[in-house]
Amino acid sequence: MLGNRIGVISCSGEECLGGTISRLAVRKMMEELKPGMVSTLCLPLFIAGDGGEREFAEKYPTIAVDGCSKCCAKRAIEKYSSAVAGSIDVAEIIGEAKALEKPLSTRYITDLHMEYVNQTAAKTCEIFDEILAKQ
Amino acid sequence: MSDSLCVLPCNGLDKCAGDLSRRVAQEMAKSEEVELICPVLLNQNKSRYEKALEAGSLTVIDGCNTRCASKLAADLELAIKEKVNVSEVAKSLDIKLGIEIREDQDTQAVIQAVLGKINSSAAEQVESEFVEPESVEYNTFSHGKFIFKVPKANYYFNENDCWVTVSGNMARVGVSDYVQQNLSDILYVDPPEIGDEFEQFDDLGSIESSKAVFEIVSPVAGTVVAVNAGLSDAPEQVNESPYEKGWLVEVRLSDFEEDQDLLHDCPAYFEFLKRKVEQIDV
Amino acid sequence: MSKIKIVPCSGIGKVFGLLARESVLMVTEEKCPDECETLCLAHVVTGDDEVVGKINGENCITMDGCAKYCAKKSVEETGGIVVKSHKVPDYIKAHRGEEHGTGTYLTDDGWKYAEELAEIMVEDIKEIKAGVN
Repeated sequence: MLGNRIGVISCSGEECLGGTISRLAVRKMMEELKPGMVSTLCLPLFIAGDGGEREFAEKYPTIAVDGCSKCCAKRAIEKYSSAVAGSIDVAEIIGEAKALEKPLSTRYITDLHMEYVNQTAAKTCEIFDEILAKQ
Repeated sequence: MSDSLCVLPCNGLDKCAGDLSRRVAQEMAKSEEVELICPVLLNQNKSRYEKALEAGSLTVIDGCNTRCASKLAADLELAIKEKVNVSEVAKSLDIKLGIEIREDQDTQAVIQAVLGKINSSAAEQVESEFVEPESVEYNTFSHGKFIFKVPKANYYFNENDCWVTVSGNMARVGVSDYVQQNLSDILYVDPPEIGDEFEQFDDLGSIESSKAVFEIVSPVAGTVVAVNAGLSDAPEQVNESPYEKGWLVEVRLSDFEEDQDLLHDCPAYFEFLKRKVEQIDV
Repeated sequence: MSKIKIVPCSGIGKVFGLLARESVLMVTEEKCPDECETLCLAHVVTGDDEVVGKINGENCITMDGCAKYCAKKSVEETGGIVVKSHKVPDYIKAHRGEEHGTGTYLTDDGWKYAEELAEIMVEDIKEIKAGVN
């Protein structure tokens, strides 16, 4: 369930493409890039506060991966736990207009979308490695 | 067993399954011991049925998988003795109910099967002799994002993370918080048969999540006298309340003093679990 | 009449979160785009003013992935009227033994299950529109 002590929270937003990208990037990190090394935290559960998510983010560095510039995940960590250890805004990687396009089912993911996912995941991994190097 | 029975059908007006729930309830209400509860009136004025519900056990009949009657009972915090789902019974008979309300051989067969299910269950499930504690207090420890809880007293555990709590010669068996967190969302509970006799460390049914099947290794020897019927419709209770509402099996004990030699009490299990979680880096 | 709001939990850890998300997208993007819309649960739970304004006093359907009911609870707390609340495991009995995928992808069985969940919500929408609830 948990190998390392670095958390990642994705916004998984349902209203725009950025949410789909943020979700898939965090899943990619969890399954392929840093398997067994990250603890993924569910944003609604984190905000509801009835699990151990908030306590985790208070104790351990946690990265926010947001799909749009509203930065829900980042703001939630700052409000309920502590400063974020790093944050990614998908809109800064793929452009605001692209990020705000309609939400996308995983059935319709194209190579271009996967490229966005890869870029976002790579950026998140950079932050992850920086945190790890400091530990 | 309670002398009287309250029956709450979904009474759905727009579908055949709802109509059958009403017809089953009306059939049951021909007995003087059965009080028929109207879901609409119950929702508006619970006090109308308070006396009947205090005096008798509650059977809920849902028409379809939306389970309005069950949800209504849960919203009003009514203790449900038994639930039956008309659509599931029809499916087991390979009968398609559809939307249209009808009276024919198929619908009659479903009604009889639902009545049969309710009667056989009433015959099998004896009134619980287990006296529940008023409240259970817990010790907790955290590991990563997981918080594990263990009762402070009155529970005994085997090293397979199954617990037993005793009341006189009766006991309840379940799984620890650690098991439910490892399994994640529990989807199915396969209980043993009522009347089964078993030895300590025998299998006592299983629970299944999308991740794995977990065999219940009994912490005690005894005879199954009841199973937690509510879990067939709400297996998530094992996740939500593993030590209380999510109990699995009620047993008549054979020799608890002997069984106890091979069990951890609460403080010992708490320490055992902390070590286990640390070692396998849960 | 404004569009019915449908909010999934989109939980990231397990396949049930993805089933909730994909089934809702089927309804809002393909099956009933004129009758309903989805709202971002992250916006709802962080109390985004625009989303709170959209949800307050409106008919909502929620599809949760687990018994924590994050979507239902969050919508209720924001003032939405949860007319129909579902959770993915509610309908799993008929799918015992199937593999539905992971939090990243759905298998063929997973897509069939998502389709079934979507149809349940389509029926909900018809009922709400007809004033049954």
